[in-house]
Amino acid sequence: MDFSLSEEQEMFRGYVNKYLNNMGHTKTAREFIKGDTESYETIVSGLAELGCTSINISEEYGGMELGALDLVPVLEELGRSVLPGLYLETNSFAVPVLEKFGSEYQKQKYLPAIAEGSQTFSIAWLEPGGSYQPAGIQMTASLEGDFIRLHGTKTLVPDAELANSLILPVRTGGGKGEGGISLVIVDMADLNITMLKQKNIDDSRHLAEITFDNVEISQEQVIGSLHKGWDILQEGLLAINAALASVMVGGMEAIVGMAAEYAKIREQFGQPIGRFQAVKHKIVDMKVDLEMARSLAYYANWALENESEDQVQAIICARLFAAEAYNKAAANNIQIHGGIGFTEEIDCHLYVKRARFYEHYLGSTQSYYEKAAAALGWCEPEKVEQF
Amino acid sequence: MDFSFTEKEEAFRQEFRIWLENNLPDGWLDGKRDIPEDKEQYSEFLRNWQRKLYEGGWAAIAWPKKYGGREASLIEEIIYQQEMVRVKAPPLVNYVGIHMVGPTLMQIGTEEQKEAYIQKILTGEEVWCQGYSEPNAGSDLTAIQTSAVRDGDRWKINGQKVWTSFGHLADRCFLLARTSRGEKKHKGITVFLLDMNQPGVETRPIIQMDGKHDFNEVYLEDAIAYDADIVGEVDEGWRVMIALLMHERSGIGAQVFTLEQQFEDLVVLAKEVQEDGQPLIQNPFTRKTMVDLYTRSRGSLLNYYRNLTKTLKNGQPSAEGSMDKLIVSELTKELFSQSLSMQGHQGVLWKEDAIFGDSYWQDNFLYSFGMTIGGGTSEVQKNTIGERILGLPKDLGR
Ligand SMILES: Cc1cc2nc3c(=O)[nH]c(=O)nc-3n(C[C@H](O)[C@H](O)[C@H](O)COP(=O)(O)OP(=O)(O)OC[C@H]3O[C@@H](n4cnc5c(N)ncnc54)[C@H](O)[C@@H]3O)c2cc1C
Repeated sequence: MDFSLSEEQEMFRGYVNKYLNNMGHTKTAREFIKGDTESYETIVSGLAELGCTSINISEEYGGMELGALDLVPVLEELGRSVLPGLYLETNSFAVPVLEKFGSEYQKQKYLPAIAEGSQTFSIAWLEPGGSYQPAGIQMTASLEGDFIRLHGTKTLVPDAELANSLILPVRTGGGKGEGGISLVIVDMADLNITMLKQKNIDDSRHLAEITFDNVEISQEQVIGSLHKGWDILQEGLLAINAALASVMVGGMEAIVGMAAEYAKIREQFGQPIGRFQAVKHKIVDMKVDLEMARSLAYYANWALENESEDQVQAIICARLFAAEAYNKAAANNIQIHGGIGFTEEIDCHLYVKRARFYEHYLGSTQSYYEKAAAALGWCEPEKVEQF
Repeated sequence: MDFSFTEKEEAFRQEFRIWLENNLPDGWLDGKRDIPEDKEQYSEFLRNWQRKLYEGGWAAIAWPKKYGGREASLIEEIIYQQEMVRVKAPPLVNYVGIHMVGPTLMQIGTEEQKEAYIQKILTGEEVWCQGYSEPNAGSDLTAIQTSAVRDGDRWKINGQKVWTSFGHLADRCFLLARTSRGEKKHKGITVFLLDMNQPGVETRPIIQMDGKHDFNEVYLEDAIAYDADIVGEVDEGWRVMIALLMHERSGIGAQVFTLEQQFEDLVVLAKEVQEDGQPLIQNPFTRKTMVDLYTRSRGSLLNYYRNLTKTLKNGQPSAEGSMDKLIVSELTKELFSQSLSMQGHQGVLWKEDAIFGDSYWQDNFLYSFGMTIGGGTSEVQKNTIGERILGLPKDLGR
């Protein structure tokens, strides 16, 4: 029995932590919001040099061939600094999906490039007015010889302008159900697409609506079998949700640290405000939630790595809990800071906004509650589709 | 990260499991888990169980071999608790003796004290209680007013204790009394090993909100203790208390495992209760509540394991125990509150009229209110977490 990260994992966390602090912690996010991406680009290559991008890629393709748990320290650190970019989508979605379902061609093409830090992925799932359910995927993909012709619009695509490629579910077969959905990779460089920037409350992540007007891609860009994309997507979701839980834990860690530090130095009525229990107990509640979220997230990643029987509920519950706790803690952090917490100058709002961005990211909270219930055997999986 | 137990640990689990199956009271495993309510029979039932554990060599597994223990590791203690919870074993009437007083005496007691008490704790011959709280001292135990005044080689003790669990069954009390008053509030408190069977000690029952009688008022009127009954130094009882609390190392685990099991029971209830001819679990609102409770009870278990790992690595428990206590007690309260809500208005039906589970839900609902008070209130735990883990300024008055 040993429920902790290993010494190596903690040591690696130390390197990433030190690196991000040297780079100014949230400074990168702040500059990114203002449109200055220089520091972000430095960090992308810096993290690659540290080895972060190659952790979970197999040796054959230039990686370290480590597991989901080895990503946890990196994910927590990125969350702590509200880092912009697509590390989560690339290493915790694209990599596991390609490793498991990708063709040899796709692996050769993408994995070594991800490992060295020159290839990123974003996920283009939602469509205007649509949902994360199968019926929400209406973008047509017609098969024409060796090509697939894409026609339709994807919305709320994160950081598309930073991505080298997108993974998107499209309809290769008719109907509204799971069958007929395929998962395809679109390389941004090859294409003539229209991208419309959407203003995000969390400007450290850019969102865009992308219109595909009869865009042709090679059939080689289909991940796994044609029409069978939904199941692959679900597996990818498990991986990214486990990782997302850890990113959110990192964010909470920063918040609890900020709140506790401020409560020690800010004095009112001749006392540090941390002596007032209305403040102290609020921070303790945040801390307790943080540690619960961390335990759930560690376990989720352990379950993923070991494909344990309860991995679906473990991962979904970790994500649900972390999202709720992160949003709550971020809000409380502002309250604890008082007036200054309401300003742009102090970091509090960065976390509120990022927490909100993640709340329904890649699936609504309600649908995840139902998916967890289904995984626990309390309702039929098909019932979940109603949400 | 590794959630498995070693072969040796699994063998230990197997051995204890088999012993339990062979030695639990008749019918216990089939669900006939009635404990007599009459005071005499109740006491006898619990003492019999304690004695049986002793005879099997399972009463005080963490104790050194020379005192009749097995020198069980912390992990083995955890396994022991898991197995006890699994079969919903009867409570240990001498929990205080075995987990707290015994180990403390081994550590800092005199040879005479070890000689006099340890064996009898093990056999269950002498049951112990804790005498800390008083009418005017609860969360703040430095405010105790019970006084002990020297009279030759004897001490005369006067005052009143309250909420003394199992005081009515106890032979001995681990008692806090004030022996002097100085600058520092923590100084001047002394621990006595008090004989409960003497004229100066009167125990009166207090009936709890769940209708049961586990705790008591204890009146001390010229109760007598001797120099030989003092643990540690005179006026230095606070240190003894700290040592004692460090020994209580697996109690929270038992609560965490119990919660896990209670959640499983709640799932059964949610399938059993009908709403418009459908099991309640078919209702998405109920499911959301259930997923939420599942998540948090899993979280409390996992968090406990993470803290346990820390304890194993550091060799001693840390302030994180306060977090486990806070989480599990609050969550248990919530779980039982939900369990009544789920039963609708008929959830108020109690005892023989309860619809589900022989009043298990109603009884535990009522009992659960004590969990966030006894052993330090939730507010006090939050102070500890805030101050010792987060380094926030100390509470006023501390
Ligand atoms: C089931 C049960 C079994 C028990 N068994 C025993 C036993 O065997 N032996 C024994 O000695 N005692 C026992 N107790 C007593 C228990 O330890 C006390 O009840 C507990 O410590 C609280 O003290 P109190 O009841 O005086 O409440 P108080 O201390 O008066 O507290 C009242 C309220 O004020 C709050 N409060 C107090 N101080 C602070 C603070 N600094 N900051 C914020 N809030 C504060 C509390 O949290 C609580 O909400 C038992 C209690 C229960 C419920």
